[in-house]
Amino acid sequence: MSTASLLGLSAALLLAGALVSLALARRAKTSGWASVAFVGAAGVALWAVVVRTFSAGPDPEVTLLSLPAIGAGFVVSVDCLSAIFLAITGTIGFLTTLYSVEYMTSYRTDSVAKYYPMLQLLFAGIVGVVATTDFVFFLVFWEIMTFASFFLMTFERENRASQKAGLKYFVVNQAATFGMIAAALVLWTRSGSFRFSAMRDALGGLLATQPALAHLVLFLFFMGFATKAGILPMGDWLPDAYPAAPSGATAAFSGTMTKLGIYGILRVFLYFLPLSPATRSWGVVIALAGAASLFVGTLTALKQDDVKRLMSFHVIGQMGYMFLGIGFGLFFLASDPALAALGLLAGTFHMLNNCLYKSCLFLGAGAVAFRTGTRSLSALGGLRAFMPATAMYALIAALAIAGVPPLNGFASKWLMYATAILGGKAFPLFAVLGIVAMFISLVTLASFLKYLGSAFLGPPSPLTGVREVPASMLAPQAFLALACVAFGLVPAWPLGFVHRALTGLASGASLPSLESLLGGGAGLRVVSGVVGVAFWAPLPVAAALVLLGLVSYFLIQRAAGASVRDVPVWTCGEEAGPELSRYPASSFYLPFKRAFQGIYPSIHVRAPAFPAWLRRAFDLDAWFYLPVARAVEGGAKTVSRTHVGIPQVYLLWIVVGAIAVIGIVVAFLS
Amino acid sequence: MRTGVLWTAGLTVLNVALALLLAPLYEGLMRKLKAAIHSRIGPPVTQPYLDLFKLLGKEDLRTAGGVLYGAAPALTLGSVLLLALLVPMGARPPFAFAGDIVVLLYVAAISAVLLMLTAFGSGSPYASVGSSREMMMMLSVEPVMVVALVVGALKAGTLATGDIIVWQLEHGPTISMAIAGIAFFLALQAQAGKLPFDIPEADQEIMGGPLIEQSGPRLALFRWAMWSKQFVLAVLLVEVFLPWPGTGVFALDLLLTLVKAFVVLVVVALVDAVNPRLRIDQAMGYYLRVAFSSIAALAFAVIGM
Repeated sequence: MSTASLLGLSAALLLAGALVSLALARRAKTSGWASVAFVGAAGVALWAVVVRTFSAGPDPEVTLLSLPAIGAGFVVSVDCLSAIFLAITGTIGFLTTLYSVEYMTSYRTDSVAKYYPMLQLLFAGIVGVVATTDFVFFLVFWEIMTFASFFLMTFERENRASQKAGLKYFVVNQAATFGMIAAALVLWTRSGSFRFSAMRDALGGLLATQPALAHLVLFLFFMGFATKAGILPMGDWLPDAYPAAPSGATAAFSGTMTKLGIYGILRVFLYFLPLSPATRSWGVVIALAGAASLFVGTLTALKQDDVKRLMSFHVIGQMGYMFLGIGFGLFFLASDPALAALGLLAGTFHMLNNCLYKSCLFLGAGAVAFRTGTRSLSALGGLRAFMPATAMYALIAALAIAGVPPLNGFASKWLMYATAILGGKAFPLFAVLGIVAMFISLVTLASFLKYLGSAFLGPPSPLTGVREVPASMLAPQAFLALACVAFGLVPAWPLGFVHRALTGLASGASLPSLESLLGGGAGLRVVSGVVGVAFWAPLPVAAALVLLGLVSYFLIQRAAGASVRDVPVWTCGEEAGPELSRYPASSFYLPFKRAFQGIYPSIHVRAPAFPAWLRRAFDLDAWFYLPVARAVEGGAKTVSRTHVGIPQVYLLWIVVGAIAVIGIVVAFLS
Repeated sequence: MRTGVLWTAGLTVLNVALALLLAPLYEGLMRKLKAAIHSRIGPPVTQPYLDLFKLLGKEDLRTAGGVLYGAAPALTLGSVLLLALLVPMGARPPFAFAGDIVVLLYVAAISAVLLMLTAFGSGSPYASVGSSREMMMMLSVEPVMVVALVVGALKAGTLATGDIIVWQLEHGPTISMAIAGIAFFLALQAQAGKLPFDIPEADQEIMGGPLIEQSGPRLALFRWAMWSKQFVLAVLLVEVFLPWPGTGVFALDLLLTLVKAFVVLVVVALVDAVNPRLRIDQAMGYYLRVAFSSIAALAFAVIGM
């Protein structure tokens, strides 16, 4: 089957899955399993495209629909870059749907009819976005994706905060999309076509004739994709909107949708933008945006108590790392192809790694919320005893995101630091940014130690009846954690695919081969001239760590065969219950957090001020309801005063009344 | 420069052995020196060995279960020994092919991560307070070490630890490397957990902090790992920032390195003996200033001084 028909098949499967899950929505689990089947089948089709693209090279473009009047057409084309995103969508999509089957049973009042169809629509939108090379249809799919994700974010109908967050997401992203439409229209006026290749030519011409306008176009594209990626300050919507969605959807967002920001940046700056001095200056802009984002986002994450909000801020920080790497790469693209390749590889590989550990972390946080019903770190504790598997996967993913060797996060960060330091000679700012990134990597570690320390370790929280989540929720986490380890130990393997994706783009075609860059082996070895200048070989290091650990354990720790005894925690002789001796998450790193207070100003939008008379006019309570109510109440009170509860008084009233009636009757009769 | 499998294997064993067996001796000498300043006789220099020996045979009291909790002390020591393989001791690091300064910095952090995870796992609030402080100290000190080593990498144009030293030997002392070396030395005080920066352990306040629930062999391994780390980092300091004269004769270079590392640790012990403990916010402020001052080294490196 050709690429186009395989993609059509996967899209048809996803849409059919959406309809079937909608029809079965009465039974949450049946609907879920049906979705798993359809998303899984679509994932297989997507992987077939991926394998085909990487083994036989990209298929020629196929035009399915042509709109010559406006110069647009539904052109389907998958290059190696798109293939990587298809692989991510197929994998993460399947895993998050599988996870959702059990997770969605925790919603009692919200129907899954709002969930599974939207999730599959989201995946279909993502497939469309990366598989088309025509901007009109790119936008159509982009909007489908935005709508589907909006409905997923506002899934909890009764939660006011999530409704507000969803609206914020929608408004901010639509504004950014309008900017992209404007940019595309500017290019369209030059070339009369929305084809990517035509837009590329138009941008090249514009750069020569009207550089200011060309930079405006680039700026609008940058804003559009950076907003989706969550780069600050445009990404302000992200920490509100991500926690609002059900955890399966949050993991899908962070694993697939947010990453399309990177896809867009690579497409625009490595394909639309011909290699020129502009590439260099935009490299600096992107690197600085990334550095600002990773600094502010990660330091703000440290302060959070809500698990999912904490991780959402880390999404911002991690996207900052990717922008930083790509910025490095763009800067050096014209002057030093080897460094450029390192930077671009670092940013793009980090994106791939981030899909794995970030999705795993969100799934783990969801598992904790699923069993305990809370996302507040201060309320959790000691879950390792009840949820050992979840704790293990969360540990691996947390160490991976913190960049602890030999896990995958370190491999891409190492590439990034190597680029920053080796490029620091030519552009010292990058060395400083590299140092900032290394510092922030430690902040990430601090933040996730807080997560592990307060949720999984320590004395147990007062929550009872917590147990391990079902296998269908564990399997996705296990797969992702394992992938983190595998990508960490053999980084050269995924880097090969990333490298092919980058060289497939027009401006990346001149990048040196992977062998000449990083050596051909399993480890990474940056070569400058003939000598190696940076080394990272995960397999020997991991082997040495395990071996030395085993030696330490058997030859030293257990050498004397000391007897082991379980004892309670020593609380200085006082009878302190676990509640008294807990160290809550809010207490972690207090002096440090205080030092970085106010780094992320929260924006309070004040309600618009109306004139006082208008407010009074609409205040029906004040001049209508309350006076009427008071009058009625006063009347009733007057009447009730006559009711004193003494029979003689009532008799008296009756007698008086009777006399009065008789008197009136007599008076009228006479 | 000698290479070859046998040489690397021999160097691997030697570095591990030095980090493991010599570190307690250095600690013993530092204790003796501290006692002399206090006008005490002090314990014999072999006391750390005796402590370790005694602790290894003591009962192992555990407040938590789990495979990782059980293996954490051994992994901690293992990670410090791995660090020793990435640090040059008289010759190029035996694992030079596997890791550069970035790897070295991250491997150096593994032991602290494991210690903190163990502390959180032990369930003691004192351990949690200590870990929180440990993390804050790391956040303050690591940037200083990063800047210092990055200066070396910038100057030499390589991230390989061995090649930075070769560059140093060829070019002689420079202003930027001198500043970087001083910054690294100031960071060493906290990395070694000595006064005025023994804030995470703070025996009089939080009773050993992360180590409060560790006993017997577990405590021995954590202590051993700390001593080894302090030794290895001192060696790294003198190798990278004071590599001269660099005779080229391996045994002589190694001996010189060990003597220089001893001198460095003597200064660390002196500072330790005459200072009171700082509060955590004071320590953070101090290292913030050190980090910003060490940026000057970066500036000097950029203009080639």
